[in-house]
Amino acid sequence: MSVTDKRAPGVRISDLSVVYRTQAGELPAVRGVDLELVPGTITGVVGESGSGKSTLALSLLNAVQPPGRISSGSVEIDGLGDVVSLTGDNLRKARGRHVGYVFQAAQNSLNPLKTVGKQLLDLGRSHDVDDLPGLVKEARSLLDRMGMDGARVLDSHQHELSGGMRQRVGIMLALVLNAHIVVLDEPTTALDMITQATILRIIREVHEERGLTTLVITHDLGVVAEIADRLAVMYGGRLVEQGPTREVLGAPKHPYTRGLLQAIPRLVGDIDEARALPGRPPTLGTIPPDGCVFRERCAVRMDVCETGEPPVLTIGPRIVACHAEAGEREPESEPAEEPEKETVTTGPVRGEEQA
Amino acid sequence: MTLIGVPGRTGGIAVVRRLAGHLARGLVMILVVTTISFLIIRNIPGDPMAAKYEKLVEQGMSPEAAQQAVNVLYGFMPTGSMWEQYLDYMKGLARLDLGQSLTVPGTGVSTVLMSAAKWTLIPVLAGTLLSFVVGIILGVYAAIKRQGKLGDLLAISGSLLHGVPQYVLALLLGAIFTTLIPILPAGGTADIMFEPGLNAGYIGSLVQHATLPVVTYALASYGGWILAMKSSVVTVLGDDFILAAELRGMKRSIIFRYIARNAILPLFTILALSLGLLFGGAIFIERIFNYPGLGLMLIDSITGRDYALMGGAFLLITVAIIIANIAADLLYTVIDPRVRSGGEAA
Amino acid sequence: MTATTIMPEARSASSALRRNFWRGVWRVMKRKPSRMAGVVIMAGFAFMGIFGPMLYPERLPRDTNALYASPSWAHPFGTDFEGTDVLALVVTGSRYVLLTGLVTAVITVVLGAGIGLFAGFRRGRWDSVLMRITDMKLTIPGLPLLLVLSTIWKFTSAIEMGLVLGLLGWGGVARAVRSQTLSLRERGFVEAARGLGLSTTHIIGRELLPSMAPYIAMNMLIAVTGAVYAQVGLFFLGVLPFEANNWGVMLNLAVFGGGALTTTAALPYLLAPLLAILLLTLGIVLVVDAMDEIFNPRLREE
Repeated sequence: MSVTDKRAPGVRISDLSVVYRTQAGELPAVRGVDLELVPGTITGVVGESGSGKSTLALSLLNAVQPPGRISSGSVEIDGLGDVVSLTGDNLRKARGRHVGYVFQAAQNSLNPLKTVGKQLLDLGRSHDVDDLPGLVKEARSLLDRMGMDGARVLDSHQHELSGGMRQRVGIMLALVLNAHIVVLDEPTTALDMITQATILRIIREVHEERGLTTLVITHDLGVVAEIADRLAVMYGGRLVEQGPTREVLGAPKHPYTRGLLQAIPRLVGDIDEARALPGRPPTLGTIPPDGCVFRERCAVRMDVCETGEPPVLTIGPRIVACHAEAGEREPESEPAEEPEKETVTTGPVRGEEQA
Repeated sequence: MTLIGVPGRTGGIAVVRRLAGHLARGLVMILVVTTISFLIIRNIPGDPMAAKYEKLVEQGMSPEAAQQAVNVLYGFMPTGSMWEQYLDYMKGLARLDLGQSLTVPGTGVSTVLMSAAKWTLIPVLAGTLLSFVVGIILGVYAAIKRQGKLGDLLAISGSLLHGVPQYVLALLLGAIFTTLIPILPAGGTADIMFEPGLNAGYIGSLVQHATLPVVTYALASYGGWILAMKSSVVTVLGDDFILAAELRGMKRSIIFRYIARNAILPLFTILALSLGLLFGGAIFIERIFNYPGLGLMLIDSITGRDYALMGGAFLLITVAIIIANIAADLLYTVIDPRVRSGGEAA
Repeated sequence: MTATTIMPEARSASSALRRNFWRGVWRVMKRKPSRMAGVVIMAGFAFMGIFGPMLYPERLPRDTNALYASPSWAHPFGTDFEGTDVLALVVTGSRYVLLTGLVTAVITVVLGAGIGLFAGFRRGRWDSVLMRITDMKLTIPGLPLLLVLSTIWKFTSAIEMGLVLGLLGWGGVARAVRSQTLSLRERGFVEAARGLGLSTTHIIGRELLPSMAPYIAMNMLIAVTGAVYAQVGLFFLGVLPFEANNWGVMLNLAVFGGGALTTTAALPYLLAPLLAILLLTLGIVLVVDAMDEIFNPRLREE
């Protein structure tokens, strides 16, 4: 296995907005997102379906599918520059080489007519790999490393592999070109519990061995709690809270994060303590254009939430965007005037734990 | 079934099993078709066999000899119970003896059929292949450009041509190219002034005469191909693995090949099925352009009351379709790895 | 009991659905005017089939001085070999053609939907037997079979013709309806209705059939075109005796009697019924296209 001495690259997403063209005009799926992926860490993005988390993940490769498009913002990747401004062959080569993308396990991410090995060779040819036997060797050792019979897997078609095996093949294809940024979209959805645990362990181990910067997209707080160093919570296309996983889960500051945590039933204790969030998450068409996106379901909703963009507060390593939280911090500065973008902090936030 | 889980090794068994099943079904189908054709010939109003038999007896032939003669002509006995006649007819078929043709006296039906079959091959085979190639290419284009004007136009042309029956196309093309602008011959296979054989004049005339039948057949089937290919490509374009390949930074040419191969797969099956029309697919075209294939022969045998020939032509046309059905299914097992290994599809 | 209590709600919901449906129809129609044209064409043909023959005397007048006359004001499509007005022939012949199409479509749909529903609903042995038979029917080529059949049964009246075509043509609809039924079952449709204590007839008549109605209606239209082509084709080939006037007979006489493919004289006589067939096809294709979009939201363009 080739452990490179190259340092894991960082990713800075700034003020990223993605819109989808619909009959009702262009609607934002992701709006004004600021997120830093600290080199060498695993960041988890949590959100319900429709929160824009998958769109955010695709933005990292500038691969938002039409009718969607990135309308503003940038995605700076160390050693690559702003992905949003990349086009043509430069963009294509960045995908796979710099950023590996792992599809949801339930999705069929392999050509059903070709063996894994042949698709690996196609991948190598696409990226002008001269040493194809070397590539196959690398792939085989990666697969072996993940607990499979590499030679046999390369000889198999997709339909001959189980969900967990496909997921590991997906990880192999994302890493085999030596990408150091890996995006995993719902890596454990549709897998059984034991396979889930195995995949998560593999992700964690490979992440550390190869020195990666990893982004995990999931709707499952449990997954994030298990592997992510940092956690970002997404709702209605916005990042409402982010920070070190343990701190966010231990003392959530945004009412949505609190709601998510309360909705999880525990094995120990009263089942009635688990309370589902009232209402439904917004869809593309029902995201309110002004004010706080979460106010419809919020327990601590105030008048200002109707009109004012929630202020983005930086509290140590944590960031939270909420009027109620802001009011608690500075009770005297709560006038109804629009909070300006100045309060938005985009500066890098030091992750305290380094992998 | 028990086959699942051991991929690779069971592939052969699965294929053999399928083949056996198909052959059995095909035989049953042939039995059904021959029975239908027997019942129809047996129940033709006026009972031509009994009439012939009586006529021969009247002419002074002994009953046995007359029976024999009729049997040779029609392939089964004019007397005896229905059941005996049926068995006799089937026995004849098993020996590939289809009786004697009336229109071409003294010739076995099989011989007449074979000579007609080769002419049917020309419009159907050439027309199918031509329309397949053109339809596939334009179908891909129509799928990729489906939001644009040209894609719309291709799709509409496809549905219109697909919707119009073969004889309407044949009559229109005929009216244009043989009557209004008489640049193509109205019928036949070649001008009689040319000696059949490998000489330029004959071959040129052959091509000239085949043009309208082939083009008509191609136009009539082109619509189906373009529509099928378009929808197949659109389906594949929406598949996850295409996006996945894009996100892995695969080259456009490779992704295009992925799309093309996956999209064309179901079309090959349809191609095999449509080759089943090899003998019976051009009836109208042959009639309109007076092209002496099996279709024209079937009609002539009906109007000429040549029932043995009619039964034989019907049988040949149907058997071709049955064989094509089997071939299509086997083809699928060969080209699709998912079916080949008896995995998910089992 | 549960069933009766939920019914009013269900009914009001279904009437709301119906309103939405007609609004959807209107929207789809409005977006592409060609679809409106399709409806107009079909209405025109229906009018022609019902009232057309009433406009002409029982025996069409012959103008023996004008055999194969060229198109003129008096005879927009010229005259035939006997000097009869071709337009009059097309109009009076349309009733036969359309009536056959209608009979065929009804038989095809009733038999096909019935057998498909039964097979899909019962599943098991009935299903496999019925589907085997259907497959066999689908394998035997229709036109050659019709030709061979014409030797023992001269099905020349419109009703008989429709009957034959319908009896030979239900296979495709049966297959399609069966797979629809199976997929509805798979979605728990039937089990849910059973759970509510609804009877089998109710489930089939009130739940399954309505949800497949648009699909069946589309198949019915397609069956009409198929029947029109088949009967015109059969008469054109000349294997059936000519009793009534219809488009197929006209084509036959134009080509094999009038030599329309070698001389221009009979050309209008040939083209008039062809034009009628093409126009009818166009109308039906446009309407089916509109129906497709109404019932398959997936196909709606973004």
